[in-house]
Amino acid sequence: MNQPLLKIENLRTYFYSRSKHSFVRAVDGVSLEVGQRETVGVVGESGSGKSITAMSVMGLISTGPGVIGGSIHFASARVQKNLLEGLHKCVKVEEQDGRVMAVSKDERGWQKTAERLMRDLRGKEIAMIFQNPRASLNPYITVGEQITEAVRLHTANKSVREARERAVYWLERVKIDSPRLRFNSYPSALSGGMCQRAMIAMALSSEPSLLIADEPTTGLDATIQSKIVDLMEELKSETGISTLLISHDISVISRLSDRVAVMYGGAVVEYGPAQRVLDMGAATKHPYTAALLASVPSAQQIRDKANLQAIEGDVLDTINVPPGCRFYARCNQVTPAVREKCATHQPELQEVAPGHQMRCWRYAVPA
Amino acid sequence: MKKYSQTSSVIEDFSKLPFWQKYAVVDLIYVGYGLLIVALVLLSYILGMFNWLPHDPQQINMDMLMAPPATADYLLGTDFMGRDILSRLIMGIQAYFLPGLLAISISLSGGILLGVVAGYRGGTIETIITYFTNLVDSFPRLVLILLVIAAFKPDIYYIMVVMGITGVPAVATAIANKIRFLAQKNFIEAAIALGLRTRVIIVKHILWYNCRALLIIQATLGMGEAILLETSLSYLGFGVQEPEPSWGNMVQSGANYFLQGNFWPSTAPALAILFTILGFNLLGDGLNNILEDKRDK
Amino acid sequence: MLMPPKEIILNIIKELFIVMLLLLGVSFVVFGILYAAPGDQFSVLLEGQLPTAQARQEIREAMGGAQGWYGQYFSWLLNVLSGNFGTSVRTGLPVAGELLTVSLNTLYLTLGSMLVTLLVAVPIALYSSVRGHSVAISWPLTMLGYVISALPVFWLGYIAIYISIHGFDFFPLASMSRTPGENDWLYTLVPVLVLGLGSGTISEVIRNLREEMSRVMAEDYVRTARAKGASVWRHAFKEGLLLPVTQIIAAKIPFILGGAVIVEQVFNWPGMGRMAWQAAQDRDFPVIMGIVLVAAAFVRLGSLIQHIVCTAVNPQGARD
Repeated sequence: MNQPLLKIENLRTYFYSRSKHSFVRAVDGVSLEVGQRETVGVVGESGSGKSITAMSVMGLISTGPGVIGGSIHFASARVQKNLLEGLHKCVKVEEQDGRVMAVSKDERGWQKTAERLMRDLRGKEIAMIFQNPRASLNPYITVGEQITEAVRLHTANKSVREARERAVYWLERVKIDSPRLRFNSYPSALSGGMCQRAMIAMALSSEPSLLIADEPTTGLDATIQSKIVDLMEELKSETGISTLLISHDISVISRLSDRVAVMYGGAVVEYGPAQRVLDMGAATKHPYTAALLASVPSAQQIRDKANLQAIEGDVLDTINVPPGCRFYARCNQVTPAVREKCATHQPELQEVAPGHQMRCWRYAVPA
Repeated sequence: MKKYSQTSSVIEDFSKLPFWQKYAVVDLIYVGYGLLIVALVLLSYILGMFNWLPHDPQQINMDMLMAPPATADYLLGTDFMGRDILSRLIMGIQAYFLPGLLAISISLSGGILLGVVAGYRGGTIETIITYFTNLVDSFPRLVLILLVIAAFKPDIYYIMVVMGITGVPAVATAIANKIRFLAQKNFIEAAIALGLRTRVIIVKHILWYNCRALLIIQATLGMGEAILLETSLSYLGFGVQEPEPSWGNMVQSGANYFLQGNFWPSTAPALAILFTILGFNLLGDGLNNILEDKRDK
Repeated sequence: MLMPPKEIILNIIKELFIVMLLLLGVSFVVFGILYAAPGDQFSVLLEGQLPTAQARQEIREAMGGAQGWYGQYFSWLLNVLSGNFGTSVRTGLPVAGELLTVSLNTLYLTLGSMLVTLLVAVPIALYSSVRGHSVAISWPLTMLGYVISALPVFWLGYIAIYISIHGFDFFPLASMSRTPGENDWLYTLVPVLVLGLGSGTISEVIRNLREEMSRVMAEDYVRTARAKGASVWRHAFKEGLLLPVTQIIAAKIPFILGGAVIVEQVFNWPGMGRMAWQAAQDRDFPVIMGIVLVAAAFVRLGSLIQHIVCTAVNPQGARD
């Protein structure tokens, strides 16, 4: 099948701040794809909207107004559908000068529709693992039972005994020590790393087509982080699963991703093959990506105890989004030629090389 | 359909907004109503104290039995003995006002003392104090008061002392929790590091800055409970006795008439109880939401 | 939910020990009031606790000597523990025996009213929390809860009686000693209903349950359950409903008992509450003392049960 497994087009997820009486434009027109057997990494600072994008795909946004536009096409061997089908019927957006000023949304109606759409996908076709694995597991139920629950819900193993065996099998596969012992343990007895392994086991035990991993290594100790990434690499090649990997940690992204999307201020600013996007020396580089890569201390810099290269300025305030390019205020590559455009107009995401997209006036291809 | 909209300019400084835009409407209504009730109670207390009443609350008027509200000079009608209900209601406040204040002052002072010691010291002392609060909490209030009445006498002040003591656990736990919360935020450590004396830390920083909302709320809720208790007791026949009016005994004496279809003599005081306790409870809750930032602003 | 049994048992034993300690404290307080009371309450009580006139005479003489409060406390305590609460000043009958029957009546009333409170509060709380804090829907219900909580329960009782009599030709005031008819148990429903609604606890229970459920719904692990396609209810209910319900019911038992005193008065219900009222009227100290002890024991029993439930559900103290 040459259709991508997941195709997100122009996704917009907004929140509303009652105290400030304005919208929080968390995800403002995001488009990206995940193909078969491919891992796409989404990298960016906190507040860039990457986690919200993942949550929007899974339909886990419950605060209003939430997802208000776009489409999310999912196409696996068993299921093909648009996860946001019917959204336009529940939402009415009023814009002024290209900015959204008012949103009317039939929240309950959309929730019902969304639940119906997602019901046979969640856990079964698309599985998600989260940051902070200990808090993400039910502390009142044993780890093993939680995995067994997933197996019974989504695979052919409906009997309790078979499902439990399957759960133990998966615990072994994620290289957790003493799997049978851990099966009967509660999450509070497990370390962060072990909890994350258990979560991965739980997610993969239902044999989904797509795995969404939201900051899977954040919050874990550095050594454990690396082990989890090793595990994910192995499982990736063993199972051939597609993954949407969210992280602000560039090293994690670079180790696991085939393609990378860089997000800033709720939009994708660069998107292409991992080697291209993450290559520090490349000529075609989005200013933000360049700055991001530069801020990660290299081995040499550490040895030299050089000053950390931070990105100037503050993270974009997604409430008070400026009219021009999102990154303009912090960009250090603005040339006089494009300055005016950068300040007043949002650049579009355009293909600057085969398979490589960029959102920047400096590389913009004249229409 | 839920509608969200924004203006073209973003509101920058939220705290400068006038209060009616800052807080949830619901909470403002609660507080407004509550304050209204407090004002009425206070006013009635003063009226009662000086006997500035439309009629003598004990004046029997056999010509005007069971008059409905808005009859001639009797704004709220008369009861089964022709006595003016409004005057009796106003007088009834005497029965619980001062005693209630006594009760809440005992609760607050005892609670502050125990709460501060427990929260500040922690450790064994806290365990001991917790034991005492659990001990006091083991007694149903009304039953304990009946015990005291049986042992001593049905004096409202004795009763309110018991009421005050049984109210200490709630205040103490609230304060101790608050202190624990502040300690968790290293607030207290910081104050100590700054070299502040313990007494100053406790009184000024902990109590005044951080606990005053809590204390006000405990006071209002405590008053509400005191009223409930006094009216229940006088309903049962302890406390203010006929012919002196108390809301509780008014409901009780009107009971038989109620069952015969003459609702008003029992209902008027019952409604007074309802609206007053409601006022104190709403005031407490509204203040709680506003001052403790509970609502999603 | 299987925990190594040894740990649960140890935990429960420890809690039992604390309960005993508290009950001891309760007895101390009661004794203190007894002792401080004007008039020689203690002797009256003690005399009442002894079986024969001669024994009473003997103790009166013995007490002429010095028997410090310490000794008095212990002899009193021993009597109480062996079930001897003395004899009622009014009836001359042993208190313990009378207490047994009436406390069962009150137990029925109390448990029944708790059930009523939960039957009303739980659906409202769950509905509110699942729907979210949309003011339009849950506000009238919250308000209703507040109003009902502020209603004086005695007045509510009269309304209920009035409606029963005039609306349904029903006499809930009928005492329990009436000749048994077919639908007698129905008569008992009215006071239970009144206490369940009017004990002043409804709005707090609703608010507490709703807050807890909303909080749990927002927890990470519930989000995982959703993402997994699992039943959210199955994951949320332990921490969101079961634990909060047991906790708030255990905490509200003293209030419900207080309400029972009043409701028993309104409906002339032969329970502990009405007996307490009578005892207060008559200054019948032994009776009221016995009632206080039983009531406090009941409160502590409630909290013990709550503790057991918590321990059983909460593995190895997993959550704070």
